[in-house]
Amino acid sequence: MSGLARAFDPGTVLLAKHAQHVVLVHFPIALFITGVAFDLAGQWTKKKALAEASYYNLLFAAISALPVIVTGLLAWHFQLEGERLKGLLLVHLVLGSVSGVLICAVWWGHFRARRRGLTAPGYVRLVECVAVAVVALTGHLGGFLSGVSGS
Amino acid sequence: MSRSVWILGLAAPVLAAAVFLVSGPAGFTARAGQAQAASAEVKIDNFSFGPATLTVPSGTTVTWTNRDDIPHTVVSDDKVFKSKVLDTDEKFSYTFTKPGTYGYFCSIHPKMTGKVVVQ
Repeated sequence: MSGLARAFDPGTVLLAKHAQHVVLVHFPIALFITGVAFDLAGQWTKKKALAEASYYNLLFAAISALPVIVTGLLAWHFQLEGERLKGLLLVHLVLGSVSGVLICAVWWGHFRARRRGLTAPGYVRLVECVAVAVVALTGHLGGFLSGVSGS
Repeated sequence: MSRSVWILGLAAPVLAAAVFLVSGPAGFTARAGQAQAASAEVKIDNFSFGPATLTVPSGTTVTWTNRDDIPHTVVSDDKVFKSKVLDTDEKFSYTFTKPGTYGYFCSIHPKMTGKVVVQ
């Protein structure tokens, strides 16, 4: 099968368990960082449209984080047969899990405030900044592991 | 009579020692070389196996060493052998007893592939 045909072959795409995690992970990273940027810009400019845009970016970041976590765990199960992890892989797993929790926590903070017709409290902004740092570090390690940011 | 017996008595062990020193160690070395199993090395570095194709006689033990900063694995296409995750400088060995071609890859980076041809 040629490379082009393989790229669009449903079996190859769906069964490439490891590759799915590497592909899907870009969505929550981009959505979350954009959501935080819009939120901070909305706070700065007091523009409601930016706060709205921020909320939906954070919502879709939280939704898209779930399949990323699932495919990451599936890659561990299928590619490494659930072998006990160590070193970089273990750090990536731990930071990835923490990132997933933080992304969902940030969205939850905004969701609760929005339900009451308020803006998210200050501590949510602090969690956002910590989450961006953890997500960036996890992404860096993921890129290093996959060879994207390697030599 | 007794003098020649003494000379022969001393000469025999000296001669035996000389023969041992000249031929003995070499003989032992040769035998040790014969007893030693054949081995070959594959280096994992910069997301590739080197050499990518290794040809060895049957009975050879191949050792893979991860010289990369990234963890890798060595898994044969038909699951004949499978390493654990190898961190930097960790090794994995497998002895090939049957002739054939054994393709293998890194399960973390499936684009990394190699081949061992056993003759």
